Amino acid sequence: MKFVDYLTKIDRRIIYVILLAVVVLPLLFPSALSVRVMPPVEKLFHAIDAIPEEKALIIDFDYDPQTLPELEPMGFAILRHAFSRRIKVLALSLYVQPLGLAQNALIQVTEEFNSTAQTNRDSVIYGRDYVFLGWQPPPLIPILGMGESIINVYRIDYYGNRTDTLPLLKEIKNYSDIALLVSISSGDPPKWWVEYAQNRFGLQVGAGVTAVSASEFYPFLQTGQFSGLAIGMKGAAEYEELVDNQLHVAGRRKASEALPSLTYAHLVMIAFIIIGNIGFFIKRRQK
Amino acid sequence: MNISLDPWVWISALCSLAIFSFLFRDNPVYKLAEHIFVGVANGWAVTFYWHNVLEPSLVDPLFRHGQLLYIIPCIVGMLYLTRFIPKVSWLVRIPIGVSMGYAVGASIPATAQAYIIKQIQGTILTPHNFASWNAGTMGIVWSIILFIGVLCTLSYFYFSKEHKGALGIASRIGIMFVMIGFGAAFGYTAMARVSLLIGRLQFLLGDWLGIIN
Repeated sequence: MKFVDYLTKIDRRIIYVILLAVVVLPLLFPSALSVRVMPPVEKLFHAIDAIPEEKALIIDFDYDPQTLPELEPMGFAILRHAFSRRIKVLALSLYVQPLGLAQNALIQVTEEFNSTAQTNRDSVIYGRDYVFLGWQPPPLIPILGMGESIINVYRIDYYGNRTDTLPLLKEIKNYSDIALLVSISSGDPPKWWVEYAQNRFGLQVGAGVTAVSASEFYPFLQTGQFSGLAIGMKGAAEYEELVDNQLHVAGRRKASEALPSLTYAHLVMIAFIIIGNIGFFIKRRQK
Repeated sequence: MNISLDPWVWISALCSLAIFSFLFRDNPVYKLAEHIFVGVANGWAVTFYWHNVLEPSLVDPLFRHGQLLYIIPCIVGMLYLTRFIPKVSWLVRIPIGVSMGYAVGASIPATAQAYIIKQIQGTILTPHNFASWNAGTMGIVWSIILFIGVLCTLSYFYFSKEHKGALGIASRIGIMFVMIGFGAAFGYTAMARVSLLIGRLQFLLGDWLGIIN
């Protein structure tokens, strides 16, 4: 009886310590876990891969520091994919907080490519290969406005350059020149893009979302409103796997490195749920 | 081991540890970190919105370029502040009405299309929907399960008739689907929270202490 009591009343601090141990140990002593790529991520990868040369990809960076570990690796992997395929990229944020994180991702991935580039053609150059449009409030204005004209909504880019002077934006004028938009977000923005930009202008939308919000986004994948979907750290690891295996693009795989910790933490939680339930049922029987 | 010498990394690491200390119990170090966060976030927001919203969207056009039409949205926006003056606080309804009218007008048709029409189309048993599962012949089974799940869940939320007979059976099945949905959402929530912990530990053990690459 005492043991059963103990099972149902384990001090939360003991659970924290065990959880900490199973998360830290795989980080200190890394082991390779194979990543099985699921269809939603595969669809997103192929949707980006199929973008024709004359069209562009919009990446909506809408993650903030709270959701950085889940969504930043997706941003890096998608940028690596786009730059390695020479897909033109327009980056933007619908919220203020992600601006610095988006800029960081663009700078880091650009440096990765330019450090190995041999010629100007191999390099990733601002204004020619990608543009960071920045932020334009409220969100509805850029979502609807870019369907008519991108440079009318964003008269200057994030760095203060006039957008009508940038070579990329002389070719890419509105949604008719955009093959796909990927919203990497911890909130509702993927749904807003579907609601306004897809319904009105027919824009194809893909999404990278946090695990906590996954269940509300799945219906949009099944109906075809999303061209693909990456969910949480696992989704990011799957995308990293595709970029690494199919495109052979080197770069740190932060989500894949974290996968063993995530797996063992889940096993521990499942074990505690089972222990708690066994204790509960034994106590109920004894009553 | 290659400890960071960057002071910003140290500030970030110490703030993270201070917040983690709450897991043991509430304490002054946690409170200090919490207050620093609130103060910095508010200070940053005020200056950022001034430089990136008010200045380029209102102050510059109105006062530097003399575009007088901007007086109208400026006055309407400032009516929000009448909340603090009880005698004229009713004026706050004007900017609220403008914002609501704009938002509701834009969202009703878009929401109906994205959340109702498309979702109903996705539930109907058609060959196109079977194929959308990417599961071969199993796509038919998944589509039927989805179809039953939607109908039964809707019947659970139908309160104009007592849940007896066929409606009772359907609503009982419906609540099972709802529970499975909650379970999936809880599982994803646990995954999300552990991911955040891993991210912070990657920072503490990697960027700060340099123990991991």
